[in-house]
Amino acid sequence: MEKVEVVSPLGLEAVRQAGVARRIQSLDGKTVGEFWNGVFKGDLAFPVIREALKKRYPGLRVVPYTEFPHAPHNDHAASQRELARRMAVLAKEKGCDAVISGMGA
Amino acid sequence: MVVATTGFSTLARLTGKSGGVADLRVAEYPGQIGMHDAGQIAHHVEQALIDQIVEGLTRTDGNTGTGAESRERDPREIVFSGSADEITHHFNARDWSDGLPIVPPTIARVEEFLEHTGRSPDEEIAVLPSANLRATPWNVAVNAVMAGCRPEHLPLLIAAVEALGDEKCALGSIGSSSGIFPYVLIGGPIVERLGIERGGQLVSRGPNPAIGRAVGLIVRNIAGYRPGASYMGTFGYPLAIALAEHQDSPWPPYHVDEGFDAGASTVTIGVTNNWGSSPAPYDTPDKPGAQTALELLCREVMKKTRLFHFPARGPDTERVMVTLLLSPPVAKSLAAAGYSKADVKRYVYEHARMRLADYEWVLKYTAIMRTTARKQVEAGILPPEFAGAPDDMVRVLSGPDILHILVCGDPHRNRVMVMEGGHTQPTTKVVRRRDG
Repeated sequence: MEKVEVVSPLGLEAVRQAGVARRIQSLDGKTVGEFWNGVFKGDLAFPVIREALKKRYPGLRVVPYTEFPHAPHNDHAASQRELARRMAVLAKEKGCDAVISGMGA
Repeated sequence: MVVATTGFSTLARLTGKSGGVADLRVAEYPGQIGMHDAGQIAHHVEQALIDQIVEGLTRTDGNTGTGAESRERDPREIVFSGSADEITHHFNARDWSDGLPIVPPTIARVEEFLEHTGRSPDEEIAVLPSANLRATPWNVAVNAVMAGCRPEHLPLLIAAVEALGDEKCALGSIGSSSGIFPYVLIGGPIVERLGIERGGQLVSRGPNPAIGRAVGLIVRNIAGYRPGASYMGTFGYPLAIALAEHQDSPWPPYHVDEGFDAGASTVTIGVTNNWGSSPAPYDTPDKPGAQTALELLCREVMKKTRLFHFPARGPDTERVMVTLLLSPPVAKSLAAAGYSKADVKRYVYEHARMRLADYEWVLKYTAIMRTTARKQVEAGILPPEFAGAPDDMVRVLSGPDILHILVCGDPHRNRVMVMEGGHTQPTTKVVRRRDG
């Protein structure tokens, strides 16, 4: 059977990979923010996560998702980008060392 | 770091990569949280999630903070050599195809397609979400070859990619587990020139299936939507659909409604969640056929529960698009009764109603967002009528403009079909031929 040579159908890389932010050594005495997109029962899961983390790290401070804006089901890319930028600024202002983002299902 | 449920952690990682964070830390909640009660959620969080979250926030390895340059691939690189069967197997094994046999994308065949565009093979047409990969005439042609298109289809597919890459199209939002897939509407003189089918059985005749398939492959390979990894339709997807409006339509074609010249050849990308039933309105002694058609459209719209989950009201909410397919006799009947397309849209908007109590049921038990109609009224998302009495009949559409009317299909049949689609808006681009 005749063999033929073929090329790839894939798109080309357009995004430079930056890597995740530097990790923190321990959660002791740190501040963690919660980002929620308003769906998939994050309102039930985040309080449990919050209490479990505080139990394990008594010095931990958590900034709950209610202190950050969110726009569930937002299909507008420009306003999504602006929202993400505002949330990042807000997390810094509130002293967050790390952020937990959820829920995705 | 990110929390996702089982089956969606890959999506979270791919989303991270598409944004430049290939080693995103993901904690996986076991199972489907939507079906878990508060006690089960607490159990799973404590037993399975907390350790992952702590590790994700504190474990240092990989290339944290360092970045990594991705290798630029030569599009002409030979990735496989084999028989036609072996090539199909190779491509399917890598999720580069849709399970059907492909036409081998050889360099010679791809170059044959490229003769039909004046664009440079490596010119960037768009960066397509969700993977944020670059589309070029070259890789669009590769997918067109695979799908079984003809070389002269390439300009049409390049215009389709321009539409997919337009933020209005919101391509990055179609990965939903509700199963959203694109349709391609081809308009203007190119329909006749390429022999695009627009009459009976149009989506499954002539060049339409190959064109639809090509768009599906482009969404898979260039936009990077992989079933089960980032393209999460619970029951999967049929092949993408290619449509064209019938020449016997009594109304101006879609692209003219959108502000394009009648003589322009255009491609519109829309989406749908379904390819469904096509009931037939009849003229009867007690009701004219046009009135029956309007009422039937309203009844069909009411079956599309996505409309209730996704109100598409307000500047920063979900988008919804509803496509009404009308066969030519139905459209002519409506036009003869004095209805324009805008009139039909207004009628359906005003008359597609349901009991507020039923709307509340849908919102309470089947929507992923935990809210009520009254809360949405207070937030300014829903109009005041949604704060009324349980038996009040409320309008379920956010407005007439989310309705899009296409006249197509069998010119001898009186049928309609309603296609609901979420998260996007139809996006139209002009097809440019090699000579401009």
